[in-house]
Amino acid sequence: MGRRRRRQPDPADAARALPEAIAALSRTLPAAPSPEIFRRAKFDRPEAAPALWRLLFHVLSPLSADSASVSFTLVDGPPELASPIAEAQVRWVKSVLHSQGYPRLALVQLQDDGSQGGRELLLALAWLLARGPLPERLLTQSHVRLGDEMPVCECEALASPGPPAPRVEAEGSVDIRHLQWLMGKLQLRWRNLMAGQQEQCALLGKNPWQRIFCSTRLSWNLSGLQLLLLCGTCPPADLPAPQTQIHSYTRGCHSDRSLGHLSVTETELLRDPEGGRQLLQRLETENARLEAALEWRHRELVFWRWMDTVLDTCPLEASPPTFLPRIPEPGAGAAGLPVRELQALQEELQALQEELRKAVEARRAAWQAAVGGHGPEWRAARRALQVAVAQDLAALQWAWEQGKGQARPHGPRRLVRTEARVPGRLGLWATEATEALRAREACLEAMLHQLQGQCRQELARLVGVRPGLIWVPPPAR
Amino acid sequence: MSIVTVQLGQCGNQIGFEVFDALFNDSHCPGGLCSKRENEAYQASCKERFFSEEENGVPVARAVLVDMERKVISQTLSKAARSGRWKYGQHSCFCQKQGSGNNWAYGYSVHGPRHKESIMNLIQKEVEKCDSLSGFFIIMSMAGGTGSGLGAFVTQNLQDQYSSALKMNHIIWPYGTGEVIVQNYNSILTLSHLYRSSDALLVHENDAVHKICAKLMNIKQISFCDINQVLAHQLGSVFQPTYSREGSFHYRRNPLGDLMENLVPHPEFKMLGVRNIPQMSENSLAYSTFTWAGLLKHLRQMLISNAKMEEGIDWQVRPPLSGLPPLGKMSVNKETHFNTSIANLVILRGKDVHSADVGAFKDPALYTSWLEPVHAFNVWKTQRAFRKYEKSAALVSNSQSLVKPLDMIVGKAWNMFASRAYLHQYTKFGIEEEDFLDSFTLLEQVIASYCNL
Repeated sequence: MGRRRRRQPDPADAARALPEAIAALSRTLPAAPSPEIFRRAKFDRPEAAPALWRLLFHVLSPLSADSASVSFTLVDGPPELASPIAEAQVRWVKSVLHSQGYPRLALVQLQDDGSQGGRELLLALAWLLARGPLPERLLTQSHVRLGDEMPVCECEALASPGPPAPRVEAEGSVDIRHLQWLMGKLQLRWRNLMAGQQEQCALLGKNPWQRIFCSTRLSWNLSGLQLLLLCGTCPPADLPAPQTQIHSYTRGCHSDRSLGHLSVTETELLRDPEGGRQLLQRLETENARLEAALEWRHRELVFWRWMDTVLDTCPLEASPPTFLPRIPEPGAGAAGLPVRELQALQEELQALQEELRKAVEARRAAWQAAVGGHGPEWRAARRALQVAVAQDLAALQWAWEQGKGQARPHGPRRLVRTEARVPGRLGLWATEATEALRAREACLEAMLHQLQGQCRQELARLVGVRPGLIWVPPPAR
Repeated sequence: MSIVTVQLGQCGNQIGFEVFDALFNDSHCPGGLCSKRENEAYQASCKERFFSEEENGVPVARAVLVDMERKVISQTLSKAARSGRWKYGQHSCFCQKQGSGNNWAYGYSVHGPRHKESIMNLIQKEVEKCDSLSGFFIIMSMAGGTGSGLGAFVTQNLQDQYSSALKMNHIIWPYGTGEVIVQNYNSILTLSHLYRSSDALLVHENDAVHKICAKLMNIKQISFCDINQVLAHQLGSVFQPTYSREGSFHYRRNPLGDLMENLVPHPEFKMLGVRNIPQMSENSLAYSTFTWAGLLKHLRQMLISNAKMEEGIDWQVRPPLSGLPPLGKMSVNKETHFNTSIANLVILRGKDVHSADVGAFKDPALYTSWLEPVHAFNVWKTQRAFRKYEKSAALVSNSQSLVKPLDMIVGKAWNMFASRAYLHQYTKFGIEEEDFLDSFTLLEQVIASYCNL
């Protein structure tokens, strides 16, 4: 007979579902607090606020929570501990949320010391989660990379401005020697960076075969050596692993046939057991986060239902005034006082707008006069400019249409050395990548020259202003 | 990354040999108080920096030897080859037969242009052997003719040809009572020219090193060889590998670059001094033990009181109370004066190095007002002991310590210049009085900048 009896939903399950969902969310996000903090935030308890501010900061910051964002102190202990959050971080979170279009005013009105507003922060977090695949995006950012990578374009880096540098409070004047020191340090650091990059390029591109036959000392440990000998290659001597010609030596070693050789990280893994253990740990944490993300996706419905209750507990907020408020007719007496003040403010605002418009027009007229008025040369110049701009636009459009079919290089690419003539489906020849980089370099150089020219003109103008002043330029480098 | 050394003149070549010898012997020192693997990494790092590999496996120093006389170079080459453990490249040297007669102008205006191509070719060959070039280390003396004049010329050419590579000039400051009559002229011309084309001037004073040999090493008859060995020891303790970061066990790739970035980014302040502790003959080593606290305390007082060795330190000199400027602005006539630093780099090598506390060096009172200790002070460490010293510390500092010697030299040179003594020997070869005046101006500016810290 087997009519299966329907199992009654266990009420205990229902009670557990929410904390488990939130716990899964916590494990996915960087620096996320425990479910208990979320619960306290719903009731706007003060201890929840700092933890949630920190969470929002880490989520909104384009750097992953692993890398040391050294301008701000990171959480050391458990996130629940109410260690103080910097005012600058709070302001930054507010400004980023505002720029992304977060509608609730109450968040902006929270105090900068980060001590209150748990509920509002919870709502902000939910808003971010609802807008897009936030956990997945964060996981992509902090993904452990095993290959040797090279960035091809900078759109991600350009599009996401990081947290602001801490403002240096200048008490009065700054000693110019300090500025010169910092300037020199910057220049030297830049040179060191360039030298390091060149070193890396030189070492990855060196021809290794001479070294193999010439050198006799092998300083690899036995396990790495055995593995590589099995693969029929011979390790080089002396230089630490990341600097050797890994790609050539390790041909045929990789389990993934399409890649064919090991990357620097993978070779280090074989060579250095301690490094291998650390890499393994990082991979395990990433795996745990990925699993948590999956679990979150299964359980998130419970979370959203709970968020509805959180929203219900919030006091009703007036719709955000994006335009000037419609002021009702001023009433008499005390009730009409604030309304009258509002009206006065409105008038003042209108007056200011009028003033601004006049100032803009005056400026524009002055500029046109400075440029040369409405004479025929001016018109001709203007026409020439318009033609040039139209040409540039047409060229851009044409170039874009040409390139539409090809895969545009974006983001970091794994370096793979291959004998094959045909690149893989998603691959990109090194030549194409270098072309793209060269084009960008040319563009930046042109911009640099233009800016230098502008600076020179400005300097010349300043020199002209004070005839008695002698300018001593620094020695040419 | 590799450093190419250019050894100029008698002084430069003799010191250069001792430096390479010290570096090599230290890196092949058995034990070193660390694991075998660590030792190998240290050796590999040192080797990559200073030596290149040749077919039969004997490391070849990355050096170019230049002198206007044959004698010293052939001595140097044979000493290196005799050791059997490392050597100089056969074709890495350039010498002539005539010498420079202690005349800066002759070295700079005659030898320089005449032999420029050959010398730069040699350097180019050495640079090509490097996988990547960190910079140049140019060893020269200030008082003679070849080292000083030709050295200034070569540095200028390196600046033109390798503008992106760093250059550190190691300068030997002559004895106050030196034998060369025109040493002060040579010195000021060298210093002023180097200030314009070099990135850092690392100075060793003969007088100071002489005292170290006499008092600390107990050497009775001090020869140049002894002095050079002390110098080499100090340089070795600065340039041997150190960890790249706190908590890392990988060795720093670009010590020259990091050193310069920490100490000499400001174009007016390029003069560096080195102090090392403990400094003693190796026989006495077995009977001494040190603690990091003791070593660092002495080193700090050496810095503050401008002492060059750990004996006879003036412990009365104290840093000024915070907030107040040092007692009276510095005047070069004051005997005991607090030595203000712009930036310091402490390098610790040996046992329990991670427990060493360098907090005393982070005292803002030690530094000038416009640079905070977090920017001004750095510490590099490695567990691997240097030579046989279980614990050793070196201090490279950009401070006022060279102001007084510089002022003395400028003063003496000016007196000679005012009476036009020996000037014709310089004008004969194209160094005019304007060049002298330019040099004086530049050095007075440097002295003033350092005094006004």
